[in-house]
Amino acid sequence: MNSVAVFASKELLDLRRNKVVWVLTASLAAAVLISVVVASLDFRTQIADYHAYVSQLKASGSAVIPAAPQLFPLQLLRGGFEYIEIIGALFAVVVGYGTIARERSRGTMHLIFTRDTGRVAFAGGKLIGIGVFWAVMVGAIIAVAAASVAVVGTASLNGGDAFKLLIAGVASWVYLMFWSAIAAGLTALMRRTTSALILALGLWLLVVLIVPQIGDTMDPDNQVPGGLFKALAIQKPDEVAVLAHFASFESARNALEATSVSKLFERIAFAFLGIKDKYNGQGFGLLWHAMYRYSWSVLAMTVSATGFAIATSTRNNLLRKAS
Amino acid sequence: MSVLAVVARHELLASRRNRAPQLLVAMFIGMVGFSSFIGWMTQHTVSGIYRQVLADGLTTQPNPFVDVAPLFFARNTVIYVVMIGTLMAAALGVQSALRDRKAASADLVLTRPSPVKALLAGRMIGIGALLAVVVAVSSVISWLSISVITRAPLGLGNTARLAGFGALTWVLLLGFAALGVLGGLYIKRETTALLAPFVAWAVIAFVLPQLGTAARPVSLLNPVAAVPQTSGVFHAVSFVTGPLSVTEHFKTASQAILEGSAAGFPVMSGVVIAIFAAGLVAAVVVTSPSRLRGGASE
Repeated sequence: MNSVAVFASKELLDLRRNKVVWVLTASLAAAVLISVVVASLDFRTQIADYHAYVSQLKASGSAVIPAAPQLFPLQLLRGGFEYIEIIGALFAVVVGYGTIARERSRGTMHLIFTRDTGRVAFAGGKLIGIGVFWAVMVGAIIAVAAASVAVVGTASLNGGDAFKLLIAGVASWVYLMFWSAIAAGLTALMRRTTSALILALGLWLLVVLIVPQIGDTMDPDNQVPGGLFKALAIQKPDEVAVLAHFASFESARNALEATSVSKLFERIAFAFLGIKDKYNGQGFGLLWHAMYRYSWSVLAMTVSATGFAIATSTRNNLLRKAS
Repeated sequence: MSVLAVVARHELLASRRNRAPQLLVAMFIGMVGFSSFIGWMTQHTVSGIYRQVLADGLTTQPNPFVDVAPLFFARNTVIYVVMIGTLMAAALGVQSALRDRKAASADLVLTRPSPVKALLAGRMIGIGALLAVVVAVSSVISWLSISVITRAPLGLGNTARLAGFGALTWVLLLGFAALGVLGGLYIKRETTALLAPFVAWAVIAFVLPQLGTAARPVSLLNPVAAVPQTSGVFHAVSFVTGPLSVTEHFKTASQAILEGSAAGFPVMSGVVIAIFAAGLVAAVVVTSPSRLRGGASE
C-alpha cells in the first residue's frame, strides 16, 4: 500500500473511532429528518385549511373553487438542505480541523515525518480519507432524506426525482469537502490550533451566514412583509421592467451573493430539487444550462481549497511548536 | 481587593491578551457599524423603486417607507447579535474556562483559601464587563452611523431605546458566554468544548423555532421573529419549544424596543431572556471545584 493510501485509511479509522464525529453526523441526519417532518405536517395543515376554505365557499354558494395545494416531494427537503448548508458546513470545519489538530496534540506528527512520505502524501491521503468519509455520510443523509419523504411525507419518488436528489447529494459532498479542506489548511498554517479553529469558525460565519444575510437584506422585495411588489400590487412583468432601472444595484447584490460558496450551493441544490418554482418540473438539460456556471464555481472553490490544504501542509508548518 | 474584583480584573486582562476570540469581537462590531449602512442603502434603493413605479403609473399605494423611524436602520443589528454576538460570547466563555485548565492554574489557585463560588462569579463579572464594553462600543457606533444617515443627532427618546436594546443584548450575550464557560468546564476535549455551545446555539436558533413555527432554517436569519402557528400540531409543540427559543424572544423584545412593535409578547420575551441568562450564570457559579481541576486535551 502506498503512503497516500496508508494516510487515507488511517484517517478513516480515526474518524470511525471518533465519537464526536458520529454524534455530529447523527445530529445532522436528525435535523434533516425533523425538517421533512415539519414540512410534511405543514403541508397537511395547508391541505386541511384548503378543505375548510372550500367548504366555506361551497356553503356561501360560490361556484369558483381555487386549485388545491400540490405536493412536490423534493420540496419537502428544503429545510434539510438548508441544514446541510449551515450546520453541515460547521461540522465539516470540525472534521477538517481535527485531522491536523489530532496529530499535533498526540505528538504523532514528528513520528510521521521521520518517514520518507513524499510532499503531498500526508495532506493528500488525509483529504482522500475525509472525502470517503463525507461520501458515506452524505449517502446516509440522502438515504434518510429520501426515506423520510416516502414514509413521513407519504410521497413516492420516481427515477427522475432520485436522479435529482443524487445530484443535490454530489453538490453537498463537494460543498462539505470545501469546508473540511479550508479548515485543514488553516490548521496546518497556524501555530496554535485553537486560533485556527476560531479563524475557521469566523470564516464559516462570514461565508455561510453573514454574506447571504446581507444579500437577502439588500433584496428590495424583502423589505416589506409579504414582499414589496405584492404590497404595491405590481404584476411580475412590471416588476421585471421596474427592476431593469436598478440593474447595477441588483448586479452588485448578485455578485456579493456569488462570492459565498454557501449561496452557490443553495442555488444548485434548490434548482435541482425544484424548490425554486421556476425550476420545478424542468428537465436535467435546462437545469444544467441554468446551473453549470454555479456548479463550476463551487467545484473550482473546492479544488482551490484542497490545493490550499496541500500547499500549507508542509513539514515546516506541521512540525512548528505552539507559541 | 476582594476575590471577586481580583478574578474579574484577571479575566479582563487575559481576554485582552487572547487574540483569537478578538476576531469575532471585531467581526461583531464591524457588522453592527456596517448594518446601518446596508439598511440605508437598501431603503434608498426601495424609495427609488417606489418613485419609478409611481412615475410609470403602476401603483396608487402609499410609499411603505415614508416617514420611516430612525431606528429602522438599527434593525439588522438584531440579527447580527443573534448570528455573531452570541457565538462571540460563547467563544469568549469557552476560552476563559479552558485557559485556566490548559495552564493548570486552577490547581494552584485552589490551594488558596478562596471560595470557589467567588472565583467563578468573579470570572462571570469579568466576562460581563468585557461584553458590556463590546455592546457599549457597538451602540455608540450605531448611534453615530444612524445620526449621519438621518443627518441629525438621535433624540433622547431614540437614544434611550438604543440603550435599552444594548442592555437586552448584554443580557443575551452574558447567557451565551455562561453557556461557553459551562462547555469549557464540563468537557475535557478542547475542540468539543468549543463546538458544544455552537451546537447548542444551532438548536436554539434554528431547530426549536422550526418545531414551533414550521419556519425554514434560513428564514430564521431574519430580524423579525417567526410567527407561531395558532392551531394544529405546531401550536401544541410551540408550548414546549416556544419558551426555549431564546433568540426568537430576543427578536420580539428588540423589535418592541427599537420600533415600538406590539407583535408577540415583548415583556414576556424579555423575562425569558433574563431567566435564560440568570439560569446559566447560576449554573456556572455553583459548578463543583473538581470541574476546575485537570487539563484540557485536544
